[in-house]
Amino acid sequence: MTNQTDTAVRESRFSLEAASNYAVIVAFVAVVIFFTFAAPGFMTGENIFNLISNKVVLLAIVALGMTIVIGAGGIDLSVGVSIDLSSMIFIMMIAAGYMGAFAVMGGLGAAFCVGLLNAFLINKLKINPFLATLGVLFIGKSIQQLSTQGGVPIYLTRAEYAAPFDAIARTSLLGIPTPMIILVICIIGVYLALHRSVFGRYVAALGAQADVARYSGIRVPMHMSIVFISCAVLSGITGILLSSTVRSYVPLAGDAFLLDAIGATFIGTAISAERRPSVLGTLIGVALLAVMRNGLLLIGWNFFWQQVGIGVLVFLVLGLSFGLRKRGE
Amino acid sequence: MTAAAIEMRSINKIFGPVKALDEADLVVESGTIHGLVGQNGAGKSTIIKILAGIYRRTSGDVSVFGKRLEQITPAAIEAEGVHFIHQDRLLVPTATVAEAIFLRNEPRFGPFINYRQMNRRASELLHRYFELDLNPRTLISELSTAQQKIVQITRALAHDAKILVLDEPTAALVSKEVESLFSVLRRLKADGLAIVFISHYMSEILEICDVVTVLRNGTDVGVVDPSEVGIQKIVEMMTNRDTSEMYPRRNVEIGAPVMSVKNLTVDGAFENVTFDIHAGEILGLTGLLGSGDKEVLNALFGQIKPDAGEIILHGKKQKFGSPVDAVNGGVAKIPEDRRAHGVATGLSVGENMSLASLGQVSTKGFVDRKKESQVIDGLIRDLGIKTPDRHTLVKNLSGGNQQKVVVGKWLSCNSEIYLLDEPTVAVDVGAKVEIYNLMNRLAAEGKGQVFVSSDLEEVTEMCDRVLVIYRGKIIAEYKRGEIDADRLLAAASGTVAETERKRA
Repeated sequence: MTNQTDTAVRESRFSLEAASNYAVIVAFVAVVIFFTFAAPGFMTGENIFNLISNKVVLLAIVALGMTIVIGAGGIDLSVGVSIDLSSMIFIMMIAAGYMGAFAVMGGLGAAFCVGLLNAFLINKLKINPFLATLGVLFIGKSIQQLSTQGGVPIYLTRAEYAAPFDAIARTSLLGIPTPMIILVICIIGVYLALHRSVFGRYVAALGAQADVARYSGIRVPMHMSIVFISCAVLSGITGILLSSTVRSYVPLAGDAFLLDAIGATFIGTAISAERRPSVLGTLIGVALLAVMRNGLLLIGWNFFWQQVGIGVLVFLVLGLSFGLRKRGE
Repeated sequence: MTAAAIEMRSINKIFGPVKALDEADLVVESGTIHGLVGQNGAGKSTIIKILAGIYRRTSGDVSVFGKRLEQITPAAIEAEGVHFIHQDRLLVPTATVAEAIFLRNEPRFGPFINYRQMNRRASELLHRYFELDLNPRTLISELSTAQQKIVQITRALAHDAKILVLDEPTAALVSKEVESLFSVLRRLKADGLAIVFISHYMSEILEICDVVTVLRNGTDVGVVDPSEVGIQKIVEMMTNRDTSEMYPRRNVEIGAPVMSVKNLTVDGAFENVTFDIHAGEILGLTGLLGSGDKEVLNALFGQIKPDAGEIILHGKKQKFGSPVDAVNGGVAKIPEDRRAHGVATGLSVGENMSLASLGQVSTKGFVDRKKESQVIDGLIRDLGIKTPDRHTLVKNLSGGNQQKVVVGKWLSCNSEIYLLDEPTVAVDVGAKVEIYNLMNRLAAEGKGQVFVSSDLEEVTEMCDRVLVIYRGKIIAEYKRGEIDADRLLAAASGTVAETERKRA
């Protein structure tokens, strides 16, 4: 009798625990199925293609960077600054007549500097990542406003500027648009770094317990620098893609990515049994957010109500996932 | 006859497939100090958490002063006069002494806290019970651990406690502080309080407890008077085995020096420390709290930079700027605070064990997972780590097994020198024996070990040589055969220095 109850308890616990890991994936599939029926325009090749190339690519690259940082136990509030400064320098250099390749390097260089500044504040001045990157966020906003007379966008819509933008945003390889190829490269790169390399193990150790990493002879400051610089450069890539698509630089446009990137990363932690950030989890998080936004728009919810829908979904998914797990324990 | 202060009968507690308590009884009379002992996992903390209302019992009866309690909540049990002094935490570091003592019981002036009265009453209580003149406005974070314990106990007394439950109250205290805590407990006992005292330290149980309940595998296996049956018997009841194997013997040839420390000095911590560590040797380093023994270990591991002197490893002078250099030089450290510094409890057994040696199982920065799992599985088998597999999170392992994971981490990167900082603190008797076996194994493999411990008995039994450090200086050295606990204690308190000074 006792044995029976014991087994029953164990089985139900295991299935609950397993179910909790799949809650996000189930939610994603459910949301896709729902919109397929509820929003006629949703499951069309064109819509999906636009969704991926306009929304998913840009957010996913930033979120990959955020995944590295959160995986290492930090947070980067300055991803918007990396996006914007990269975009700003890129656009300004194009406007000044530099070659596209140099402008790209200039933009990425600006993002690199943001990461370097974060690393300096965190490693040398020992400011915690939240406050360090918050400070950089404030400074970055000011820099943009000062360099654009208070936030005037720079539009390079004239034909003479089109070549470098088209080379990035309008080309394709084997029918796959270049931005998507860039995303795939970023995914593979971050996946290998986080889940297959020594660096990824150190990141996990830093995230779990930084002191243990230090006591194990790991170069903590160096790895923290790599973490924050990687995140900034990935955000910089998004900045360049964003500018190339819209052929302009809009000050503070990068801010919009910050909370989505953090949200996607944390939603993604629900797929791993240890609740750790992972590349796959983050991508599912990004896709879930993008599909929700798009689907709610298509069924005619106005912008203000979309946020409510997304908020409720996040509660549902995470509540289900973490709640089931707690019950399982 | 009056009812017992605490009467817990036939308590059962089932966690999923695990039976944590099996018909356990605990009966505590007023005016006694009642010891509760058992190995980790024996059910000590489970039964206490049931009493505290943190866990709900599966079945059984609980009465306090004859009153049967059906559903226990933390607030309800406090209302019955039962107070718990937990091992760590539970005082807000930014609160003042008076605020901590009167938390949830603040003297009011309308809706406001009457600080003047609160501070005055806090001073009075501290003085009355402990003859302690502590400024009630002092912040908790500024107090020593012993003073924090006293504040916790005072808080219980301010709430009119009739029963005190102390969980490992002496774990972080030095001997003088333990003495003063004990005299307080004796006074409270004389006042008629019932006190439950949980400790891993058998000598303390013997000294302070009138009666002891021994738990093993969730059942009470005996209620005895410690002064009658003695420590040996109690330990045997806990482990169900003979204690003569407590300190396993080893027979190891001591080899050439592997590390030499010459005139090492860290200003304000220790000076002119000189010694060699030989292959296969366990070198004890002991002293009172603050004597500088721990700082020597920290300097050898690159955590603090020496101001003078040198560390010579394999014939080469070393400059350890950080633990990175020490680890690369083949130095390993088993830190005192295992869960904060030794293992990452949220990572798996495998991830922890390969953390320091990933370089050896990777090519071009990528981890060769096949090679890695071979190394890890080998070590799990070799060290007898009790874990379902290498993917299990370390937090699900027992203390002794966690310590084995720390050792495994260093074995996998072929460290030559092991710095052990209180490796057996807060682990149960069975796990201690396993750690001693591990030390013997390291010695047999020709590793040099520096062993810092404040448990003089284990220093006496385990070391080939002991250096006693007093106020930052090595004042005595004993070889195996000359080492005994009394001698070490005398030296650690500086008596050797006195005699030598007289001779000179």
